[in-house]
Amino acid sequence: MRRAHLLGLGFLSPALAIILMLFLIPVLLTVMFSFTNMSTATGISGGAYEINAASLRKLADAGAQESFVETLGKESFVVDDAGITAAAAAYGEQFANEVGSQMLGERFSSRRDLERAFRKLKSRPRSTRDIKKAADLFKRSVLNIRFETAGGLVDAVTDNGIEMTPDQQELLTKTIYTGWTWTSDNFALMAQIPYVWRVAGNTVLYVVLTLAASVGMGLFLAITTFYLPSSAASSFRAIWFLPRILPNVIFVLMWKWLAWDTGFLSSLLANFGVPPRNWMLDTGVNAWVFIVLINGIVGASLGMILFGSAIKSIPQSMLHASEVDGASRWQQIRYIILPQLRWPIMFICAYSTLSLLTSFEYILLSTDGGPGGATEVWSLMAFHTALDNYAGNLQYGLGAAMALMLVIVGILASLVYLRIFNFNDLVAKPRIEQ
Amino acid sequence: MRISIENFTKSFGDTTVIEDMSLEIGDGEMLALLGPSGCGKSTTLFAICGIHRMNAGRLMFGDADVTEVSSQKRNVGVVFQNYALYPHMNVYENIAFPLKVRKESKAEVDRKVQEIAGLVHIGELLQRRPMQLSGGQQQRVALARALIRKPDILLLDEPLANLDAKLRLEMRSEIRRIQLATGITAVLVTHDQVEAMSMCDRIALMDKGQIVQLSTPKDMYESPSSDFVAGFLGNPPIAFLDGTVADGGFRLANSQVTLPVPSGIEVPGEGAPMRFGVRPEFFQPGNPLKVPGKVSFVETQGREELYDVTLENGAVLRSIQSQNAGFKLGQEVSWGIEQDRVLAFGPDGNRL
Amino acid sequence: MTSSNFRSWPLFLVLAVISMPLVIMYVYLFVDTVTDTTAGSLIPDRFTLHHWRFLWEEPETGRVSIWTVTLNTFIFATCTTLINVSASVTAGYALSRLNMPFKRFFLGGILTLHAFPTITLIISIFLILQMIGLYNTLIGVILVKAALELPLGIWIMKGFFDNVPWEIEMAGLQDGASRFTVWWKLVLPQVQPGVAALSVFVFLSAWSEFILPQVLAPSGSAQVLSTYLSNLIFDDMKPDFNMFKSVGVFYALPVIVIYLIFNKQLMNIYGGGTKG
Ligand SMILES: Nc1ncnc2c1ncn2[C@@H]1O[C@H](COP(=O)(O)OP(=O)(O)OP(=O)(O)O)[C@@H](O)[C@H]1O
Ligand SMILES: [Mg+2]
Repeated sequence: MRRAHLLGLGFLSPALAIILMLFLIPVLLTVMFSFTNMSTATGISGGAYEINAASLRKLADAGAQESFVETLGKESFVVDDAGITAAAAAYGEQFANEVGSQMLGERFSSRRDLERAFRKLKSRPRSTRDIKKAADLFKRSVLNIRFETAGGLVDAVTDNGIEMTPDQQELLTKTIYTGWTWTSDNFALMAQIPYVWRVAGNTVLYVVLTLAASVGMGLFLAITTFYLPSSAASSFRAIWFLPRILPNVIFVLMWKWLAWDTGFLSSLLANFGVPPRNWMLDTGVNAWVFIVLINGIVGASLGMILFGSAIKSIPQSMLHASEVDGASRWQQIRYIILPQLRWPIMFICAYSTLSLLTSFEYILLSTDGGPGGATEVWSLMAFHTALDNYAGNLQYGLGAAMALMLVIVGILASLVYLRIFNFNDLVAKPRIEQ
Repeated sequence: MRISIENFTKSFGDTTVIEDMSLEIGDGEMLALLGPSGCGKSTTLFAICGIHRMNAGRLMFGDADVTEVSSQKRNVGVVFQNYALYPHMNVYENIAFPLKVRKESKAEVDRKVQEIAGLVHIGELLQRRPMQLSGGQQQRVALARALIRKPDILLLDEPLANLDAKLRLEMRSEIRRIQLATGITAVLVTHDQVEAMSMCDRIALMDKGQIVQLSTPKDMYESPSSDFVAGFLGNPPIAFLDGTVADGGFRLANSQVTLPVPSGIEVPGEGAPMRFGVRPEFFQPGNPLKVPGKVSFVETQGREELYDVTLENGAVLRSIQSQNAGFKLGQEVSWGIEQDRVLAFGPDGNRL
Repeated sequence: MTSSNFRSWPLFLVLAVISMPLVIMYVYLFVDTVTDTTAGSLIPDRFTLHHWRFLWEEPETGRVSIWTVTLNTFIFATCTTLINVSASVTAGYALSRLNMPFKRFFLGGILTLHAFPTITLIISIFLILQMIGLYNTLIGVILVKAALELPLGIWIMKGFFDNVPWEIEMAGLQDGASRFTVWWKLVLPQVQPGVAALSVFVFLSAWSEFILPQVLAPSGSAQVLSTYLSNLIFDDMKPDFNMFKSVGVFYALPVIVIYLIFNKQLMNIYGGGTKG
C-alpha cells in the first residue's frame, strides 16, 4: 500500500474505530438479535435447563404426550452408591451394607415400595419414621435441578430410568431451556400482533402529515420573512428557530402545559363555557393534531433556514426583473422563487422522510402513543416492545426485529437518495498526489 | 414617451446617494446616464422603473405622475446588467414571462414571442436554457424580454459590460438599431464613454449623485462644462496642464513657459490658478504653438501611435499620430498645441 | 429585500398571528417560574421564588441533587463534543483531501450511516453496554452519543475542508512542510469557524439528548437534566407546571445563551450549510 494511502487511513482511523464499534457492530447485532427470542425472561447471557412445575406445563402446552410429562414429574427411588453412603452415615454401616448387598441397582416407583422392601431387612431402623427418612435418601428426581447443558439434563433423565424417544428428547430440551435461543419466529410474531397494521398505517400518516406541515410551514416562513424588513424578519426567525434547539423535553413540556386540563387552553376556553380537559389526550384526533404540530414546527425550523438561505441566493436582479415584467407578489413566488427551491424542497423531503420514519422522541414525550395506541408509530412500537413497556417483559428479540425493518427501509432509501443527489459530484479527486 | 424626473432625492438610511436631481428625457430619445462607478446611475434607473421609491421629488411619464405607481404598472422594460434571465425557464418562457403574468392567451403570446425573437435574431434558440447561451445571445434574450410587451420606456443597465470587445461592438449597433426600429424612449446606464457617445442622442454625465452636464455627445466632447467632464470623455484621455494666470496668458507651474489663452474666454485675475486641457489630437508636430519636451512613453495602437511627452516642469502632454511618424523613446521633441482647441478651466474646475 | 413594490405589513400581521401560540408558550415558560396564578385564571398574580426551591433545598429521598445532575450533563456534553469533533476533524480532512483506497465506499457509507438514527441501534447498544458493563454509566452514553453524531460531523467538516483552497496546501508542501504539518498548521486554522460551529452544534445536541440517557443510563447517579426533568414530569400525579418550568428554564438557560452568542453559525449548520 502506498504511503499516501496510509496517511489517509490513519486520519480516518479514529472515526472508523468509533463507527465500527457503535454503528456496524450494533447493526449486525440488531440483525442477530432479531433472530433470537431474547427478553427479560430469558436474560441476555446464557440460560439453563430445569424441569419444574412451570416448565412441565410449558412442555404439555408444546404438545408432549401426557404420560411423558407425568413420568418426568414423578419421583423415583433408586438404590445406588450415593444413597448407600448417605444411609451409612445416618443409620450405620450394617444397614448400609445390607441394603447394598441385597438391593443395589433396584428401582422403585414410589416410596411405599421401597419402605416395604426395607422392612424385610434385618438391620433396618426401628421406627417407621426412620424407615421413611431412610427411603428419602434414595429419592432420585430431575425436578428443580439446574443443568447447565442439555446433555446433563438428558443424562440425568435417563439415569432416572425415563426412556425418551429422540423426538421427545428434542422437545424437552427446547421447551424447558430458560435462556434465549435462535429463532425466526419474530417476523411471524410481528405479523400476528393485532395492531401492527394500524401502527404501520400510523407511521405513514405521521410521516406524510408531519412532512407536509413542516415543508409547508417552512416555505411559508422562509418566504414571508424574506419579504419583511430585516429586523422584523430576524425576530420571527428567532421565534421559529428556537423549537429546533430547545431540548425536546422542554419543548414538549410547553405543549403539555398548553393542553393540560388545568393548562392554558382549558383556562382560556373555560371563559366560553367549555369544560376543562386534557386537550392532547382526550381524543385520537386531538392527539394527532398535537403530534403533527409539535413535530411539524420543529421540522419547519429546519425548512425555514434551508429555504431561507436558498431564497437569499437568488440574485436580486432576477426578482427585480420579474417585478418590472409585471409579476405580482404571488406570481413572483409562484414563477420565480418556488421553481428555484426545487432542490432544497426535495432534499428536505428526502432527509425528513427518513428521520421521521425513525424518530419518536417527541411522540414518546407527548402522547407516548396514546390515547389507546392512536398515535403509536413503528419506531415507538419497537422502543416499547424492547425497552419500555408496562408489562415489564422487555422483548429484545422482537423489538430488534421491528427495528430491523427500519434499518432495511433506511438503507434502501439512502441508496436511492445517493442516486438522486448525484453522489459523484461529492467525491472530488485529490489534487495533491502524495 | 417623455420622462421627466423632478427634484429627485434618494437616500439609503443615512447616506444620501442622489440629491435634488432633475432630468428630462424626450419622446423616442435614447439617453445615456454616464458616470464613474458608484455615482448613482443604477439608483436613478431603479427609481425610474420603480424598484426603488423616491425619497423626494416627482416622476412623470408623459403627463402621468407615476411617483407612487408600482413597477408592475409602469410598463417599463429593463435589461439588467447581468441580464437576470430566469435559469429554470427556457428562452421562450423567459421572453413570454411578462405576457404570462398578464394572462394573455397562448396564441397571442406565441405570435408576439416569434415576432420579437425575429427582431433580435434569436429565432432558433427558443428551446434552450439561459445557461446554454453565449453572453451575446443572453443579451438578446434579455432585450427581447424587456421589449415583448411593448413598454413605453426601455431601461438598460450596463448592457454590454459582460461582453467581449468584438461582441460589444456588434451589440452596440444592434441595440441602437432596435431602439430606432421601435421608436422607444430609452435610458442606457454605462460607465463606458465610447458606448454612451456612439449609441445615444444625448448624454447625462453624473458625478456623486449629480448631473454635471447634459448635452449631445459631440457637444459634450467639444465643449465640456468642467475638467471632470473633459477628463471623462475621450480615449486616449485629455491631458491637463496646471498653472496660473500671468500677464494675461497661462504660465505653467514651476516653469517660465507662458502660453496664450484661447480667444474669447474671460481670463480670471492675475495670479489665479488655471488649468489647460489639451486633447491628444490637438498636440501635433505640425502646430505652431510649440512646447518642448521629451518623449517618455510610446504605445503602438495599430493604425495610430500614442506618445506621452514630459515637459520640463514634469507635466505630461499626450499626442496621437498616424503611424510611421517614428519618434523614439527619450527623443527631444518640440510639438505644437492647436491654440483654439485648448480647453481652459478656472480654479473651481468649471470651463472658462 | 430592497424592492419597494410590495407592502410588508400584511405579511407582518399574518406572521404575528401565526407566531402567537409559540410566543405565548415562551412567555409563560419564563413568567410562570417566578409567579403564582390562581387556578382557572390566565394572569399571574403573585411574585414568588418558591418554584426555584429545587436549587437550594435538599432533594427528596430517592432524588439526586440538581447540581449533581447538572454536572453530569455538563460532563456528558463536553466529552461528547471533544470525542466527536476530534474524530470528525481528522476523518473530514481525510475524506476531503487525502488519497486512500475505498474512498467512495467510505463516503457513501457515512451518508448511509446517517440513515440509522437512534432506534435502529439503541436496542443492540443497550444489550452491548449491559454485556460489557457500561450500562448505567456516563461513559457509555458519551461514546454512543459521540458516535451517533459522527456521520454528520464528518460530513460537515468535509464540507469546510473542501472550501479551503488547494493552493494553501500546495504552497505549504513546496515550503517543505510534511502533509501532517500542513494540516495542523495551515489547514486547521482555515476551518476554525467550522470547528467552532460543529462544537457548538454537538454540545447543544448532547445537552438536549433525552432518549440515550433514558435508556442507557436511567439510574440516579448517571442522570442528566433531560431525564431528571422527564422523570419529574412522569412521576407526579398532580403536576406542578410552575416547578417543571423552573427546572426547564434552568436546563434551557445554557442553550439560550449559546444561541444568542452563536446565532449565525448555528443557523448555518442547522441549515446544512457548510460555508465558513
Ligand atoms: N441598498 C443600498 N444601501 C446603501 N447604499 C447603497 C445601496 N444601493 C446603492 N448604494 C450606494 O449608492 C451609491 C450609488 O449606487 P449605484 O448602484 O447607483 O451606483 P452606480 O452608478 O450604478 O455604480 P456602478 O457603475 O458601479 O454600477 C453607491 O455609493 C452605493 O454604495
Ligand atoms: Mg450600477
